[in-house]
Amino acid sequence: MERNDLTPTDPKGSVMVVGGGVAGMQSALDIANSGFYVYLVEKSPAIGGKMAQLDKTFPTNDCAM
Amino acid sequence: MDDEYNEGLGKRKAIYVPYSQAVPLKYSIDPDNCLYLTKGRCGTCEKVCPSHAINYLDQKKEITLNVGSVVLSTGFKSFDPSKLDHLSFGQHPDIVTSMGFERVLSATGPQGGHLVLPSDKKHKKEPKKIAWLQCVGSRDENRCNNGYCSSVCCMYAVKQSVMAKDHSKEPLDCAIFYMDMRTQGKDFDRYYEKAKDNGVRFVRSRVHSVYPDHDKGNLVMGYVDELGAMVKENFDMVVLSTGLEISADSFELATTMGIELDRSNFIKTDSFKPVSTSMPGVYACGVFTGPKDIPQSVMEASAAASAATENLALARNSKTRAVTTPRERDVAGESPRIGVFVCNCGTNIGGIVDVPAVAEYARHLPGVVYVEENLFTCSQDTQDKLVEVIKEKGLNRIVIAACTPKTHEDLFRETLIDAGLNKYLVEMANIRNQDSWVHSNEPELATAKARDLVRMAVAKAFRLEPLFESQLPVTQSALVVGGGITGMTAALSLSRQGYPVTLVEQNQTLGGNGRLLYKTSKNEEVSLFVRKLISEVEADEHVHILLGSSVHGVEGFVGNFKTTVATGDDSRIVEHGVALLATGARESRPAEYCYGEHDAVMTLLDLDARFAKGSKVVDRAENVVFIQCVGSRDQEHPYCSKVCCTHSIKSAIAFKRKNPETGVYLLYRDIRTYGQREFLYKEARDLGILFFQYDLDNKPVVTPEGDHVTVAFTDHVLGLRLAVDADILCLAARIEPNDNTRLGQAFKVTSDNDGWFLEAHQKLRPVDFATDGLFLCGMAHYPKPVDESISQARAAAARALTVLSRDSINVGGIVANINPERCAGCGGCVEVCSYNAITMDPAKHVAVVNDALCKGCGACAATCPSEAPSLMGFNNDQLYAQIKSAMTV
Amino acid sequence: MKEEVFEPKIVAFMCNWCTYGAADLAGVSRMQYPSNTRIIRVMCSASVSPHHILRAFQSKADGVLVGG
Repeated sequence: MERNDLTPTDPKGSVMVVGGGVAGMQSALDIANSGFYVYLVEKSPAIGGKMAQLDKTFPTNDCAM
Repeated sequence: MDDEYNEGLGKRKAIYVPYSQAVPLKYSIDPDNCLYLTKGRCGTCEKVCPSHAINYLDQKKEITLNVGSVVLSTGFKSFDPSKLDHLSFGQHPDIVTSMGFERVLSATGPQGGHLVLPSDKKHKKEPKKIAWLQCVGSRDENRCNNGYCSSVCCMYAVKQSVMAKDHSKEPLDCAIFYMDMRTQGKDFDRYYEKAKDNGVRFVRSRVHSVYPDHDKGNLVMGYVDELGAMVKENFDMVVLSTGLEISADSFELATTMGIELDRSNFIKTDSFKPVSTSMPGVYACGVFTGPKDIPQSVMEASAAASAATENLALARNSKTRAVTTPRERDVAGESPRIGVFVCNCGTNIGGIVDVPAVAEYARHLPGVVYVEENLFTCSQDTQDKLVEVIKEKGLNRIVIAACTPKTHEDLFRETLIDAGLNKYLVEMANIRNQDSWVHSNEPELATAKARDLVRMAVAKAFRLEPLFESQLPVTQSALVVGGGITGMTAALSLSRQGYPVTLVEQNQTLGGNGRLLYKTSKNEEVSLFVRKLISEVEADEHVHILLGSSVHGVEGFVGNFKTTVATGDDSRIVEHGVALLATGARESRPAEYCYGEHDAVMTLLDLDARFAKGSKVVDRAENVVFIQCVGSRDQEHPYCSKVCCTHSIKSAIAFKRKNPETGVYLLYRDIRTYGQREFLYKEARDLGILFFQYDLDNKPVVTPEGDHVTVAFTDHVLGLRLAVDADILCLAARIEPNDNTRLGQAFKVTSDNDGWFLEAHQKLRPVDFATDGLFLCGMAHYPKPVDESISQARAAAARALTVLSRDSINVGGIVANINPERCAGCGGCVEVCSYNAITMDPAKHVAVVNDALCKGCGACAATCPSEAPSLMGFNNDQLYAQIKSAMTV
Repeated sequence: MKEEVFEPKIVAFMCNWCTYGAADLAGVSRMQYPSNTRIIRVMCSASVSPHHILRAFQSKADGVLVGG
């Protein structure tokens, strides 16, 4: 399995996530909920990305919000 | 200016919020269009803003952050079809993109969710015929250089056509023009078949042109049908199913950072490292690494979370800050002051139920001191307002009349916490799922029912009491069931984050299907990778491997499981906080096409074994035939096995590369080389591999002929019956789930109709089971290629880490409580409790509930003749009040 | 005398984990059914005692549905 050979001896406890769509938000939440500080960087004035534009989604036809 | 959120179908101002549910819900100024910033005129917003929040002098600031790793998830840009002359986009308002059509359908869209022609909004003219054009800006190297498949458009077009029919009052003719219908995801084919049954037309064709007929005011589409005839058909509206591509900004970001991209500008990844970029410490997920749908993006997002924090495990909790919540206000002794919030849910409720009337009605119910209507009660701004209103009006019980508590109760409980109220003081009235949606043809009766539901909720809210939780320590170790690529990846991901893992495998060896596969779609050798992976797992001191073992029983709950694992005649109890089920799937044995009867007939894995070992039959084959969908996508197994098109085409290419003279034929129903796999399909055609499409009612016929088999099939284009004498006939056999019945029963998790483990939510929680602390990954979820299995394994690990990294979990809340004064000590409740949560206190001869084990079912309460136990939050006083108010106005 | 169509009133106790969810799903699928039921969410159908059912009839319910 992938392993970064440059395992830092004094790692930082924070991560930057670039892009606040559904992927960026999920990544940020999982990182934060496992004990790391997250900087979520988004270009536009709101997070949500493309999914926020969708009406309903398959298969439950829930609203995408 | 044109509103980008509504795809230019509506307008917005130069100072704006992107959309009504935006987070954060704050206005911002668009510097390119603001008159003050561009021409020094206007300045109105500064004058009218009561809180003096406008600052025209605000400038771009550069901030330097020191972080341990970076995750890139900048997503995609929808392809701009105005580059394609033949589709006339921009020349007629009724030719829209798929994103535009989403906005047309949406309740928050420019047409309020009414399906009317954008060209004639005034007269609310509804379209009668809509066409969808697939592969606009995808699978097209001539017009736009996007040779890949965008993976998601087939499915969204099917969904949009079904939704459009749902929105339309009159019968609506929906036609989808496609090359291959790529509905390869979980349950997608079922949805596709259902759409066909609902009358959506699917036309296999590439459209030649679309143009407006200005005299008649409609749109004309020219296309070549399956038999090769040129057809012209009129439509009222045309939706262009635009593909996904990487934006110029994302391209610049990656190139500035020096991250390697593939030929289509997606981030280049390895099948075995699906979320790693070429730069150490920088990870990527979502469409930036290739076109993919929401569940796959969510999985990769979690996978990236696991990968990005693996090297930082030593610094866990070093930078986090504690969340401060306001002190909980003690409401004991206060008389109920109920606030009722009635949601319109866009038009979902408000379009049917008379929301103002329901709100007015609620005003006069006992205990109600405040009532409000909302467009979306769940939106962030309404949550903020709710907190304010609760404080301002001194509310101490809240009723939300909206959707279902099953999806939204937790959200509102959080809001109560923010407002300083005990989170159990909220009650929901389900006036959407169980009212407006199911009585949409009877608006008056729906309104009457909404009043009743609100009255019942208010009656219960009146009697709600604060409930309390306590903390239990978490066993910080994991159990992984299944030792294939997925299980091993998950186990290593967890152990490298510092948590011990027990890995249970039923066979005597690790590796699973990984041992049988030859090469990935990117030509990486699987066996090398698997061997390395096995040695890493074996060398890891935190991974305890149990071979030849299986799970026999499970007790406990999230954070505190006790599982019995049997190895031969021995059995042991493993304590763990979470469990990941990665039990995989297998290639089925075909029951047709002479499989098992003739040596020339084999499956893809049989062929892989011959490729790996070397085989004279393979070397000498003059004619090779592949048949796709063997046992998949039929009546009995209505799902797509997802991996076989790519696997077959890759194998077909191997034959051609070995000997260009070999005749290679591939008989398919739809070629599903989604994403960048499409380049393999193109390569195969360029190499002269011949593709023939067949239907379920006209399947190929195989007859043995000496040392080869004859495969007969129909060529649609020529209308001829053809036959090939094949030295090798390779069958793309269905992938079927392993039998998980016993495991499922032990963990109390469910599988779907096809036998795949069922996730908590198909889009947003693709690796969680509905039960807390249990996760699924790999092919036990659905057939998938190696890269997706690895992503999902890492994703499950990331989700598991959100539990393991906690010291304790909360228990209590909605649990039973036994009033010792009323308990006669009969033990009836002990008998009925399925979770062994009740014991007898031997000294006092009364029953006692263990909060951690109690699931809050309330069976004890219903059994006890003296009503000693009560289920907190659902006690008899509350239920009786609900029953009474259901019947009495 | 005016003839009235009999419209029964039904109290439905539905388990949060199955039937209540199914009723939600019926909504998601836009199934249509008569609006005569009033659903009370319970955490398990086993928590519905004869007392609850009798209370419903005492309150003039024409029918009681327990789903679990």
